[in-house]
Amino acid sequence: MTFEPPYSWGEIRRGIDRVMLIAILCLFALGLVSIFSAGVGVMSANATNALKQALWGLFGIAVYVIILRIGYQNFVRVAFWIYGVAIILLIVLLLTGSASRGAVSWFRVGSVGFQPSELGKVALILSMSRFCSRYPPDTLKRLIASLILSGASIVLILLQPDLGSSLVYCAIIFAILTVAGAPVKYLGGIVLAGVFTMPFLWRSLKEYQKLRLKVFLDPYIDPQGAGYNVIQSRIAVGSGGLWGKGFLHGTQGRLHFLPEPHTDFIFSVYAEEFGFIGAVIVIVLFSILFWRILRAAFRTKDIRAKLLCVGIVAWTWFQVMESVAMSMGLAPITGLPLPLFSYGGSSLLMTMIGLALAQSVAVSSVRGKMTMVVYR
Amino acid sequence: MYKALDLFDIDQRLIYIRNIFIFLLALLIVGLVYFQLVKADEYVELASGNRLRMVRILPPRGNIYDASGVPLAVNVRTFDIKGYPMDLRREEDFANVSSLFVRHGIPMTPDSLKANVEKQYVAPYRAVSVATNLTLAQVSDLVMDSDFSQVLFPSPVWRRIYPGGALVAHVIGYVGEITRDELEDQRDLYYQAGDIIGKNGIEAMYEEDLRGMVGDQVVEVDSRGRRLRDINYNDPQKGGDIRLTLDLAAQREAARIMGDRRGAMVAMDVNDGSVLVFLSSPTFDPNPLTWGISQKEWNSLLEDKDRPMMNRVIGGAYPPGSTFKVVTASAILMEKIANTRSTVFCPGNFQLGPQTFRCWRRSGHGTESLLGAIRDSCDVYFYQMGVKVGIDRLTKWGQALGVGERTGIDLPGELRGVRAGREWKRSATKTKESWYQGDTVNYSIGQGFLLMTPMQLARVFAVFANKGNLVTPKLNANKKPELKKVGISRENIDIIGRGLREVVTRGSGRAANNYGVEIAGKTGTAQNPHGDDHALFVGYAPASNPRYVTAVIVEGGGSGASTAGPLVARMLAYLLEHN
Repeated sequence: MTFEPPYSWGEIRRGIDRVMLIAILCLFALGLVSIFSAGVGVMSANATNALKQALWGLFGIAVYVIILRIGYQNFVRVAFWIYGVAIILLIVLLLTGSASRGAVSWFRVGSVGFQPSELGKVALILSMSRFCSRYPPDTLKRLIASLILSGASIVLILLQPDLGSSLVYCAIIFAILTVAGAPVKYLGGIVLAGVFTMPFLWRSLKEYQKLRLKVFLDPYIDPQGAGYNVIQSRIAVGSGGLWGKGFLHGTQGRLHFLPEPHTDFIFSVYAEEFGFIGAVIVIVLFSILFWRILRAAFRTKDIRAKLLCVGIVAWTWFQVMESVAMSMGLAPITGLPLPLFSYGGSSLLMTMIGLALAQSVAVSSVRGKMTMVVYR
Repeated sequence: MYKALDLFDIDQRLIYIRNIFIFLLALLIVGLVYFQLVKADEYVELASGNRLRMVRILPPRGNIYDASGVPLAVNVRTFDIKGYPMDLRREEDFANVSSLFVRHGIPMTPDSLKANVEKQYVAPYRAVSVATNLTLAQVSDLVMDSDFSQVLFPSPVWRRIYPGGALVAHVIGYVGEITRDELEDQRDLYYQAGDIIGKNGIEAMYEEDLRGMVGDQVVEVDSRGRRLRDINYNDPQKGGDIRLTLDLAAQREAARIMGDRRGAMVAMDVNDGSVLVFLSSPTFDPNPLTWGISQKEWNSLLEDKDRPMMNRVIGGAYPPGSTFKVVTASAILMEKIANTRSTVFCPGNFQLGPQTFRCWRRSGHGTESLLGAIRDSCDVYFYQMGVKVGIDRLTKWGQALGVGERTGIDLPGELRGVRAGREWKRSATKTKESWYQGDTVNYSIGQGFLLMTPMQLARVFAVFANKGNLVTPKLNANKKPELKKVGISRENIDIIGRGLREVVTRGSGRAANNYGVEIAGKTGTAQNPHGDDHALFVGYAPASNPRYVTAVIVEGGGSGASTAGPLVARMLAYLLEHN
């Protein structure tokens, strides 16, 4: 394979999916508003989080443009290298990282934190797309080979232990394998195997993680502790009503009834202030975004690009599902960020990189037939 | 490899997966309909109410008793006035509350109150202490005031007091409010700002046993903050009591014997390591520390030149001086460098190349065997034999006897001291100096680089008293004794034991004789670069069937024989008489 020549400004302008771009910018803007709102407490108003997030957003947009210029093909080409780096970072993290709430998932450089598991998501999608397009998982042997490739990162994430991220990895792998043509009986087998390993997984969980899962089933077993968050988040969402309480008029987040209002429970803050209408707008925006990415996947003839798009949608979609359902107490608390919304630099940056790769697939349509890849 | 037909198949699957994604997103909207539209009124009611209030009820800590059941740390009941941050939000709230307290003779300003509330703030519905340590009289006086706010309420709390006061401060330690660093470092997320935690001594060592289990109370209040009903109440559970091996009466006697000398005295059962006396002098009163003292008082405690806060028994590292000769003697005998018949002539000094090392007795001891050398504390004998043994074998036996190792006593903050040796010197000196024979000469009589704690010394001598076991000292009476064979033969232990007995009967430690008990021990005088020599004596009794070992160091006390010896003898006499 040779390197794809970079895309010119003209090609980008002609090929870019504007709907996709607008959806991203709208979601990011709504996220900024919510982060600002979450920072306005009783005792003090604190805009630093929103400001930091805005700066990360600008940085993310710059990276987005650079990736469009380079083109997704060149990233797929070095996919295994990126995956290798991510794996090494995950190993180094396990050996040296700093613990936060019992789980080691961060590198700290000064005040900036970096989560290798976020980089791992992009790396996994790129390398799975490359691997499964070259060796479609239609035989058991190839399927197992791709599971070994992807499983390495999951094991490292589970060792941290970061249950939420490992579920995202599972969603990505399952979606890519499905679309790449894994036989239905094998896919069913993977699901069954997952069910049977549950009890072992349960035993390896930390106490606070078990508690979170237990209170998901019944928040009232620990109404002052972990269950309290579920109840309070549900109160926040529910009390938003049809129109919401209005910007900066939510009380649940600002009075610290909600823990971590600017990260884990950002959607609760948003839904309290902007109500049902606002919440539906966000879900529709995400739906439009996913629809457009998958539309690009249909249009390209490059199988790698199709799988890449599916992986990116599976990743962000899973986090949206989990984050929104969690805010209503319909899913256990895992601490996954809501893409483009939650406060956090490395998460936002990696989301932007993923979405840029998807946009790049759309842009690549301008070169049309020239880049058509037909394996034979 | 994909066949051309596969592209169609892939697109089919893409459509399936897209439909699943979108369908599940639509289900989220169904959930939102249920919570935000159908049940909205219910949740609006719950949110606007914010009717839940939580109070954290701290349990009384476990008591600490001495060996005969005398309380050393107990709790007394006082009162805190509590309130909720969400009810104390506005500036006038702070002004009203503080003026109420000032009227009743409790100093407070609106700003200090506000700072206090913010420091303890966790959530608006979690109670914080507005005023602490009030008596029942003060509280009833406050409550009777018609202005006593609806949003304040008195809450009984337990405060720690130490009846033993300064006498046992270094053993018991003290408790205090948890610091920000301690909050961040905690492993089990038990504590919150404002909680009490063991800061030192037994209080810190056995924190998890002593602290008990916090309770909490959840109440529903009306819109003006008045209590409507209890939602939930979890009783706090008192912490577990701890009984120590320490004997308060003996400790008091030790303090009387030490008087106002600076130093340390420790006495231990030679067979199971039970520590009966643990005195570091001067000491401090832990009670004010527990109840809160000003920064100025705290600083003056820390900056006191006599360093009362320093735990000299396990946190003071001193050159062991001649008491170390039992270690050298063990190495001489076990490495078969000499037997009891081998002799050395002591002319009063020892020549090593151009260097001269003096014996403490300028005129010399004449011909000395090992037994005589221990008895007379003859330096030249140990210089000469020490060089023959060599530093590596000396440190080997030092390590076996626990020199430069933590004793493992159940107290925090123990120092290891310095065992020194070749490796140590290379890494400890900037110029990576190697070990010289002259270093070995000094080392063999307990000077030079060696540093030991009084606890380590007592442990070394216990080995000769209990015939060969290194015990781990302990203060908790329920802790199992830990013994480890040192590997010195019974025969050699008896030889050194005989020497130690002769020290007291006819040798350098005669000052410790005539106290009515049969003592064996060793004097020591440690060079002190900051002033007068430190006086040491470590002894055990009765020599024929040893029960207790006692180590004493008197800082700047001069000669070990005359200063420290009698102190040890008096302590041992007391212990044998009363136990």
